[in-house]
This record gives sequence, C-alpha cells and structure tokens, in this order.
Amino acid sequence: MSYLATDFEPLPPQAPEAAETLTPSPPLWRLLLGDVRACIAAVTVVAMLLLAAAGPWVWPQSPGTQWLSQVSVGPSGARTVDVVPDDPWQGPDRAVDSLTALQATTTAVKLAWPSLPTAVSYRVYRNKGGVGLGMPLTETPNTHYADHLQLSEQTYRYSVVPVKVDGTTGEPLWIEVNPRLTLGEFEAKLLGLVPENGQVSLPAHPLGTDALGRDMLSRILHGARTSMLVGLTAPLLFITLGAFYGALAGLLGGWVDNVLMRFADFVVALPFLLFMILFRVALGIESGESGLFPMVLAMVLLSWPSAARLVRGQVLQLRESAFVMSARLAGASNFYLIRRHLLPNVLPLLLVSLSFAIPQAIFTEALLSFIGMGVVPPTPSWGTLCNDGIRSMLTHPHELVIPALAISATVLAFNVLGDALRDAMDVKVRRGVR
Amino acid sequence: MRKLVVAASLFFLLFYSLPLLASAVDAEQQRITLSLATEPPSLDSALATDQISSFLLAHLMEGLVQYGPDGNLVPGIARRWEVREDGATFWLREGATWSDGKPVTAEQFVYAWRRALDPATASQYAFILFPVKNAEAVNRGDSSPEQLGVRAANPYKLEVSFDKPCPYFAKLTAFMTFYPARQDVVERWGRAYAADADKMIFNGPFLLKRWVHGARLTLEKNPRYWNQAAIKLQEIDLPYITSDPSTHYNLYKDNRIALSPLDSSTLSDALARGYETHLFDFGTLFFLEFNHRDDRATRNLALRRAIQSVLNPSLLVYKVLGLPGIKPAYSLFPSSMRAGEGVFSEQYPPPRIDYDIEQAQRYLAQAKQELGTIPPLTLLVGDSPRAVNEAEFYQYVLKQSLGLETRLDQQTFKQRISKMRRGEFDIAAAGWGPDFDDPITFGDLFASWNENNRGRFIHAGYDAAVRQAQQSLDPEVRLQAFDRMQHIISDEVVIIPTYENVGLYVQHPRLAGVRRSIFGGDPNFRYAWVEP
Repeated sequence: MSYLATDFEPLPPQAPEAAETLTPSPPLWRLLLGDVRACIAAVTVVAMLLLAAAGPWVWPQSPGTQWLSQVSVGPSGARTVDVVPDDPWQGPDRAVDSLTALQATTTAVKLAWPSLPTAVSYRVYRNKGGVGLGMPLTETPNTHYADHLQLSEQTYRYSVVPVKVDGTTGEPLWIEVNPRLTLGEFEAKLLGLVPENGQVSLPAHPLGTDALGRDMLSRILHGARTSMLVGLTAPLLFITLGAFYGALAGLLGGWVDNVLMRFADFVVALPFLLFMILFRVALGIESGESGLFPMVLAMVLLSWPSAARLVRGQVLQLRESAFVMSARLAGASNFYLIRRHLLPNVLPLLLVSLSFAIPQAIFTEALLSFIGMGVVPPTPSWGTLCNDGIRSMLTHPHELVIPALAISATVLAFNVLGDALRDAMDVKVRRGVR
Repeated sequence: MRKLVVAASLFFLLFYSLPLLASAVDAEQQRITLSLATEPPSLDSALATDQISSFLLAHLMEGLVQYGPDGNLVPGIARRWEVREDGATFWLREGATWSDGKPVTAEQFVYAWRRALDPATASQYAFILFPVKNAEAVNRGDSSPEQLGVRAANPYKLEVSFDKPCPYFAKLTAFMTFYPARQDVVERWGRAYAADADKMIFNGPFLLKRWVHGARLTLEKNPRYWNQAAIKLQEIDLPYITSDPSTHYNLYKDNRIALSPLDSSTLSDALARGYETHLFDFGTLFFLEFNHRDDRATRNLALRRAIQSVLNPSLLVYKVLGLPGIKPAYSLFPSSMRAGEGVFSEQYPPPRIDYDIEQAQRYLAQAKQELGTIPPLTLLVGDSPRAVNEAEFYQYVLKQSLGLETRLDQQTFKQRISKMRRGEFDIAAAGWGPDFDDPITFGDLFASWNENNRGRFIHAGYDAAVRQAQQSLDPEVRLQAFDRMQHIISDEVVIIPTYENVGLYVQHPRLAGVRRSIFGGDPNFRYAWVEP
C-alpha cells in the first residue's frame, strides 16, 4: 500500500451544521418540573418533612394528654363545659312518678323510677338507637341508678325492666336521654384545668381522639417525628457508608475489591430482625425502653451492601472510561478524579436509591413499632398509632385510617419521587420518551 | 365415572347430614349444643386445675356438698354434715351410685383425698386439702397416706379431723379436688385414667358418652344419678373446640350453639343485632400489686400512698375500660363476696380513699425526702389490648399528676407470672379469682407465707388477722378479721384494687335455668331445660 502526500494534508474545515450537536442535558430540577406526578410527590414530601419538623409548634397540644371524657370522638371544636362533682349518688331526694333522668351529663346520667309493687329488682339497659333493649348495665334492687359508662353526646334510650320474684320480667319503662358534655371534678384537676365560674375550656380536636381520648392530630404530628427521624437517619447513614465502601472497592480493585465485596455478600445474608433483637439484648435495653437506637443501628449495619454494590459497579465502569483515562494521563490526582468525575456521576444514583430506602425505613419502623419492638408508650409513631387503631377498628375506624393514610401518602410520595428521579437521570429512558 | 359417583354421593351425604349436626337447642330431645375454648387437659379430679375441667367435672361428678340454684350450699352425696372445731362429719346418702351401679361410699372419698395428696400424683391443688390433719406432711412425703386425718367410720359416714379449726370446710368440699374416686377404676387404667370417655366412671348428673380428642365431647344424662328426676336435659353436645372468641360468637349467630361469651368487639355486633346480652359477675378482682422487696422504690409507704391517691378506679372503669358491668374496686374483697349472713361489703364497707392530687404531691415530696431520687418505675402488665390500654392510663395518670416516669413491661401471662415470682417489677397488674365461697380465698393472698404473695408483703398484724379468720368458728370474729385485713391493705397500700371483672354473654332465648356461678363449675346446666 502506498500513500500520497495529499493523504497527510489536513482536512478542510467542516461546516458546523454537519456536526452532531450535543446539547448539555437540562438540569435535574427542570426535568422534574415537567412531570406533574413528581411535582405532587415532591410537594408532599416537603410538606411531611415540614409537618414533622414544625408541626408540634403549630399544634402545641401534648400527644400524651388523655381527654378521658372525650374518648374516640370524631373531629370536634373547642368547647367550654361545666365541671360537675363526682361524689357517689345516694339516690333521689324525692319520689318520682315515672322514669326520670335527674341529671343528664356525660359524667353521669342519674335515673330514678317509681317502685313497682311486684318487682324485686330492676334491670337497667342502655341502647344507642338500635333494636332491642341494648347493653345491660346492672341489676339492682333500688329504684335509682347512675350510669357513668363512657357517655358521649348522643341520644341514649334507657330501659328499666322489672324482675318479679319468680324471675319473670314485666313491661319495660323507657326514656330517651341526651347527655351534655361535662367534666368530673377529679378529671378536671388531673388535666390541670382550673374552673372559672364552674366551667373549663377544652381544646379542639380537628382529627378527633383515640381510644384513650388523646388528640389524633397531635399524635400524628409527633408520630411523624419518630417515623421521619428513623426514615431519614437510617438511610442517610447506610447509604453514605455503602457509598464509601463501594467506591473504595471499585477504585482499588483487584484482591481488595474481591475481599470487600465477599464481605458485603456475607452481610446481606444476615437476618435483620434477629440482629435487631441481639442489639437490644447487647445494649441492655429492657422491654419498656425505647428500641429506636438498636433499630437504626441494625438498619445501618445490615442495609449498606446494596448501596455499596451499586456504587462499586458504577465506579468500576467509570474508572475504565475514556474521560477518566485522559484525566489520569493529564496527571489528575485521585482526589480530583473523585471530585470531578466519579462523584457527579454516582450522586444521582445515590439520590435514587435514597428515595427508595426512605419509605422502606419508614415501613420498617412502622412494622417494628406495630409489633412492639420500636418506640414504647406513650411516645407515638405511625406504626404504634396503627396498632392502637386496630383495637377499635370496627367501632371507630378513623383511629386506624388516619395514621395508615399518613404512612401510605408519605411512602407513595417518596416512591413516586424516586421513580421520577430515576427516569430523569436515565439517558436511555429520556431519549426514548422525548 | 365411579369416582364421580362416589364423590357426588359423598357430597350429598355431607350436605344433607349437616342440618342433622344439631341446632343450638332441641326441646323435644332436651338436648343442647355448646362449644369449648380448649379441650380439657385432664378429667382426673385430682389433677384438674382449669376452668374447662371444672365445668365438665361439675356435670360428671358429685361431691359431698354442692352449690344449689341460688348459690347456697345444698346436700350432694352427703345428706347432712357437721363442722366442729376439731373436725367434721359427713353422713352420706345410701341411694347414691356410680354409673356402673356400685354404691358411692365414704371409703372412696378417703381414697381420693389420699391420692390427691400423694406426692407421686403431683396435684397442683393439693394445698386445698391442707386443713385436713397431716395433709401437708403427707403431701411433702413425710407421713404415710394412712396418717391423713380422714377415715370412713362406716360406708356412709366420713370422719375428718383438723390440725386447726377450719370454719369454711364444708364449702371446700364442693371443690373438684374433693370429689370421690374409685380405686378399682383408677388402678385399672393407671396413667391413662380419665384420659378417655371409657377410662373413667361417674357419679354426677351426666356421663361422658363420647370424647373425640381435639374435636368433640358429648355428655348424656346419667340414669343412675341419685337425683336424676331433677335433671331435665338429656344431652349436652360439645362438638366445637376453638379458642377464638369470635368463632364462638359466629357459631351462636348461626344457631349452632346455645351460649357464647362476648368481648368488646362482638358485644357491639350483638347489640346491633338486638340480641339480649347478659352479665355475669365472675367475682374476680384485678389489682395493682406493689413490690415490697428491699431493693425497690415501691417499698416506701409514702410513694405507695401518693400513687394510691391519684389512681382513681372509677375513672379507669368508666372512661377507659368502658364495658358494662365492670365495677370499680376499693377493697381486697369483691363487692359480691358473701360472708356470715350476707354480703361482706354491706356489713363492712370498704375503707374510703380520698382521691386528692395535692395530698398525693405531699406524699410524693415525703417519699423523695426518704428515698432521694425516684427511678422510673417498671409497670408489669399483660399483653392483651385491654391490658395495654389500662397500662397507658396508669402511666399517664402517674406522669400527669405526680411527674413519675413509668416503663411498661408487656408480657404474656406465663412470662408475667414468672417475672412476678422472681420479683422483677415495681408495680404489677394482677388478678385473682376465688377458689371457694369464703373471703379467706382472697384474704390469705397477702399472708407472709403465701406463695402467691408476689410482692413479698410481710406484716405481723395482717398475718395475725389471717390466722384468726382461718381458725375462728365465730362468724363475727372472722368478719372483723376480714375488715382488719381490708384496712391494712388500704392503709399500708399493699395493693391498689382496680376493678371487678364481669363476663358478658348471649344465651339462646329458649334455654332456661342455666346457672352462672363463680364456684362449682361454670356455666352450670344441672338445673337447665329447653323451653318448647
């Protein structure tokens, strides 16, 4: 083969329009802004974080206070109610000629009825508007009875059934009663409320109260703190740890890489629940003390390998890529390489895996608190709120639905955000879409 | 094709035999169907400890005395009896026979009691026989069974002698450990005795016709029972064994069983359906037990008084538990406990406790002076939803009114009992059901020698009151001793009584005469019948 001199002449300058134009990819935030779902998700995430951080200041009710006279109520406004004495009732001071409610408050409904000649005792029933006599309250030889049993503001139908000597029952007397909300003296004192003119004011409960009369909104907000604390701390820590570990393995390569990654495989095989319990025991945490620390510790020590593998793979690929080669040839230091080339290329990946790890951690915390391995009463977390709510699921579903919604919304938002981030950064997907 | 035919006929057989599987009640046959929570571990009256065995044995066996329809003691195998300071005599009726026709004699009681006390039998309820002379020594293995203070003077006269007077002995003999046993039957089957329907023998109103392990028991009227004319039910079938409370309720809804207990979730459904629901007072006391051991902050009286002054049982019962019939408790003795000529709490009302937060804070200040700082208190509780709610209420009240920190230690029943026994608690939520109808069944709980005194409360005055109540034959002296006990319990804050539990249940409207009883097997169908 022979060459002509012209073969070694420089090419004539090419027309610019012939070259493939390479525009830099738009910044991440602008890509996300175009995706409605991602925007909603991002707003939700920010809102949840804000609620967790600032909520307890905005809504300063204590999550532990039990408003025992307002157990399992729905959304309610602020009220001013009477304080009534809670001395035992010795019966009416005058005879009544029909079944009468001498007092109708949620502290006590005091009933009196005329004595029936054939009756030896009376059975008192209470019904909340269903068929039949309803709930048996007592059987008494007296002609009066004070009902205190979890009264709320609704219509009750009381029936008094006379029982004769031979055990047969007569025609029931009945009355409808609408008790008004009051507080017993002892309860008011316990709450630290000082009556003015015999009245105290009760705060509003925008989301109602739970089975012990605790404000749901305040419990959700304080629960968000627990859930977010675990949900953010643990993933941040284990992903950072994993990233460093993976970068080290990827950069050093060779037998070091081999040893490090086999160790990571070993850690993957360790069971999380078992280790969490082991940490609890090792740290001397007895039942009744918060298990959050061993939970986070177990998550951090056992969950890093996935992040490490991800980063190692990426680093291995980048290390061999042309631009890293040329930077090396140009005499760039390792530090420069990491800062200029590796980190910017790995960071988006980490962001994606973080946004998936957070909901998983929130779920784990909820699950473990649900089975009693996480926070202890009275500290709320979304998991314990669900656990509490299950007990009254059939009668007061809001106690389960609200915390369950909070968990679902947050987890969904993080997941959608993670999806959008991954799509935005995945060049192939993006090209396919646009 | 043949397979298909077989399958089809099997299907029809099953399908059409299902309705035959009994409805809840049958008036014509006087037959009822019920369910059981678990299979009885043993129907050997010397070994039985649990509720289910007690229920079954109360129908299969008859002791010296029994509880009648109104809860009073009525004659059983003994037609009359006499309790003296040094012993008791029972005169047995001559017409009573076993289900094989052999007579029930005094010798069979002697044999049964000796057997229950024999260390080789390892009966957990042996202690209930301890009022009988030498019983403890026999149970320890220090004396031969022949030394036991019980003998058959003749086949129909049983003589019992005591170490110390035991005024409530007649009531004890209604308990299942005191039932007679047939030496020939026990020895014939050995370890397999009372493990199957055909490996035991009955002297009660019913006999066990069938026992399919884990699946079904059937009781049939015993035609040889001495008082068989008074028994109206012909058969009690127990074809369902399940521990799930909502299953029992669903069976009741389907008209498969005649009686079902209710809990808070099934109660609301039963009310919504308009079922008539019933209450039954178990006579069980729930309380908070303090740990009085030296290394615990709760040994301090001022601290216990502070806690007593803020834990208002009525708030707990009416606002937190919220089930009908449960009563706030203020005394060691449940309000329905009988003693002497009537109900104990009416003769000697419980000591009054003032629920006063300021007073409690003064007690607490005193406690802090005496103890220095007060560490977080460990509150040992059960793991049921109700127990947890209850515990969170205590935790809130102590924190809110006194600023006391508490840690909730939620444990399963077994775990809780063993932690209490080891003293690993400051305050424990506990309960106690009576074994027999005398206040001493609660009173001796906190005697210094009682194994069930888990908080190790030791008090000479209390011990003296217990001894007096155990040994005096004068009812008034005993009542005063019980009153002293309930005052010491309250003044020294040994425990804080919280509530008296009740059972809620639904019962078939045509089933009548069922007796719910704290003692002598519950529920009791001896006097029950099905109305047409």
